[in-house]
Amino acid sequence: MLFNSLPFLYLFLPIAYLVFWRLSGQTRRYVWLAITGYVFYSFWNYRFCALMLFSTVVSYAGGLGLLRWQDRLRRRLCLIVPVTADLALLGFFKYTNFALTSVNGLSSWLGFQTRFPVLDMVLPVGISFYTFHTVTYIVDAYRGVVTPTRSFPKFAAYVSLFPQLVAGPIVRFRQIAGDLGRIDRAEETRDLDLAWSFFAIGMIKKVLIADTIGTIINPALADYVSLGTMGAWLCVLGYAYQVYYDFGGYSDMAVGLGYMFGLRLPQNFNSPYKAANIADFWRRWHVSMSSFFRDYVYIPLGGSRGSRPKVWRNLIVTMLLAGLWHGASWPCVLWGGFIGLLLVGYLLVAPWWQRLPYVAQRAGTFFLFVVSLAIFRSQSLKMIGGLLQRMFSWHSGTSFVGIEVLVAAILVAGAFAHFGPNTFEMEHRWSPSYATGLAALFVMCLFMLYGSAARPFLYFQF
Amino acid sequence: MATSSTVNARGSLAKVIPVLLLVIFLVDVGLRLERVDRLTFRAWEALTTYRPPGAAFERNRRYYKARTYGDLAAMGNLPALRQYRPEAFTTDRLGFRNPPGAASGPVAAILVGDSFAVGCAVNDDENLTTRLSALVGCRLYNAAGIDPHPDRILALARKLDLRGNLVIHEYNEDFEMPPVPTERRRRHQRAMAWMDGWVGGPFGRARGILTVSPLEILSERALRNVENGRILPNQYSAAVVKGRLANGDPMLFRKSSVDGFYRKKAVPVAYWKWLQEELEAGGLQLVVVITPSKYRVYRPFVVEPRGLPEGASDYVDRAEAEVRAAGIPVINLTAPISASAAQHLQEGSYLYWRDDVHWNAQGIEVGAEAIREGLQDYLRCSPPNRPAFPGQ
Repeated sequence: MLFNSLPFLYLFLPIAYLVFWRLSGQTRRYVWLAITGYVFYSFWNYRFCALMLFSTVVSYAGGLGLLRWQDRLRRRLCLIVPVTADLALLGFFKYTNFALTSVNGLSSWLGFQTRFPVLDMVLPVGISFYTFHTVTYIVDAYRGVVTPTRSFPKFAAYVSLFPQLVAGPIVRFRQIAGDLGRIDRAEETRDLDLAWSFFAIGMIKKVLIADTIGTIINPALADYVSLGTMGAWLCVLGYAYQVYYDFGGYSDMAVGLGYMFGLRLPQNFNSPYKAANIADFWRRWHVSMSSFFRDYVYIPLGGSRGSRPKVWRNLIVTMLLAGLWHGASWPCVLWGGFIGLLLVGYLLVAPWWQRLPYVAQRAGTFFLFVVSLAIFRSQSLKMIGGLLQRMFSWHSGTSFVGIEVLVAAILVAGAFAHFGPNTFEMEHRWSPSYATGLAALFVMCLFMLYGSAARPFLYFQF
Repeated sequence: MATSSTVNARGSLAKVIPVLLLVIFLVDVGLRLERVDRLTFRAWEALTTYRPPGAAFERNRRYYKARTYGDLAAMGNLPALRQYRPEAFTTDRLGFRNPPGAASGPVAAILVGDSFAVGCAVNDDENLTTRLSALVGCRLYNAAGIDPHPDRILALARKLDLRGNLVIHEYNEDFEMPPVPTERRRRHQRAMAWMDGWVGGPFGRARGILTVSPLEILSERALRNVENGRILPNQYSAAVVKGRLANGDPMLFRKSSVDGFYRKKAVPVAYWKWLQEELEAGGLQLVVVITPSKYRVYRPFVVEPRGLPEGASDYVDRAEAEVRAAGIPVINLTAPISASAAQHLQEGSYLYWRDDVHWNAQGIEVGAEAIREGLQDYLRCSPPNRPAFPGQ
């Protein structure tokens, strides 16, 4: 079930909301939130609910062990067992076929006849996200950053919380434990204006901007060999705004839904296209993911301590893993490596870069990210080569349908992304005329949902 | 930074948006109570939306539209390629495409099958049953539009004044035959048939109201005007293949039909074998009529068709051979239709609509004539007064 779907808006959300606020007591509300999470998840594939339950139980038990035992050995066991179990599930479902096809490709290249059969399995939606929820919980508990909870319903509600279940933000337990602890004292109407404002803005970003751009660039990129230089740049530029408004829109909707249930979810996009350098960019883009890789991969690897080659290695390894997390494919790995190299490159030229005019720093950062998206959006190594070739050498190419609308959408989307406030910076104090305008755009979204099948969020595939 | 304290109620979205959702929901529900006839471009959608479970269409309905057009032009959102024509479509008290009273008079045989047998895209007086009845000189009953299931056919035969024992199953090669049902599935189907007798009408109506939203249709129509291949890419056009014939005329084909033509697929002979056994046990005899897809008929005349992999296009011949080998009489219309299509093409006319999956009145006439010849050994129009089922 998608946030931008009619069954969610007309059936799931009203029931989840009305029942939640009619329940009193912490445990009842935790149980209800967990139930709604599992129901929400089961709309994709009910069998995978067992997987999420397993992950929840193992991590909960690990947390209880960390509460009970103080000796180093048993605490380590309480860390390693759940983290290994969670990552093993993620690894099996997400990376097995990637590994098998890569080995098959390599053996074929080397002239061997060996072929491993590829497994016929589906990637459980959101597994990358809820696995990270449980991993951060257990690692933070081990580090003593959070106190593990004794309440299973509370922990189950945290893992399966439907606003952040399938595409984040990757909320850490400590970020939400306070609100979960006060869930019985939450006021129904306190944040409702904020909630609907976030939700409506997120919906408009997703349905009116991201989906419109996607409608134009998807067929054009499917036939990328026909694109000229201008067309290739427009498509990749369009994709930069599509992915930002798609995932940013999802994150806004998630935050809005959180507010509806008295929970404050963290900001996931802090105007990334206003970043002045690539390191700054990664502090603003998909904040919950980049901070996860910073805190749980980069810093444990040594972070920025040690010699310069070690720091470079840490950056590249971290971004390679981030790339792999985004997708089990070589273009994603290559994209991670490219971002890692950009970060290393920035370390080398930082003093020079910072002397550039501020506008040039921002424009340069955006340019580099757009180029990286040509790799990220490609479905094969061949497409990466073809697309980059079209972008960086002159090709006349053919025009594609919707190019005028794409240019207009890029201008509007770009104006807001580069110069406007992000949703967290907005005051959300809408005058009647602005509220009417927002409501009218929201109604337009509803008609778009009526008129076409709801389009999944891009980050669901990760 | 937005916090709850900075939000005031001047333009309270917490009220406006839920109210808007509610209003649109109520509009949706309200529109569902109205029939969708006015929003449909042809009879099929209008008459299948509220059909009772055991019937092909709504009962005792007459649909008329002066300007209908083809399903492929609609699917592919290609208004420039529409061929406008009138369509009159009448159903009887049992929910099949027959003139009123057809279910009461004597009938010589039952025709079952897919939309080709129903007569999708042609008028009442042009469909296969009507034309075949006129050619053989006795009335056939059009029971097409439901899965050819023996329980349903036998139940229908008992309701009709059937004077022969013939069941003609028209099968278009693009039609996906259902698997032989399990006993559990058969029980379910019998229960549905039983239920149909009691609450079929209201059940069909309720199902239509729940599953078809006029607001969805209107919104989609508005979006199609924008996603027209000029303002925005026409995403619907992926469902159809635009071909050009040697004479320069454009012709649309269903994408799945074109792909199916090049794919080697198995003949569902087990289903026919089972159907024949079940019908024979009920005193009926099965004859299978194979109709070719539009792509099979017109592919030889399409400019630069896809290459033909070995063994990929022999499906209808294999189907004919395997059905015959199973002891079931079979009539394959591919040869007469293809030959006639080539002849008509020289005169600038067609046996299939260029904007539709289906055959037109000329194609049906050719098919009916070929079926008449093939049925000579099986169809007896006289004596017309012997009931097929004792106790009718």
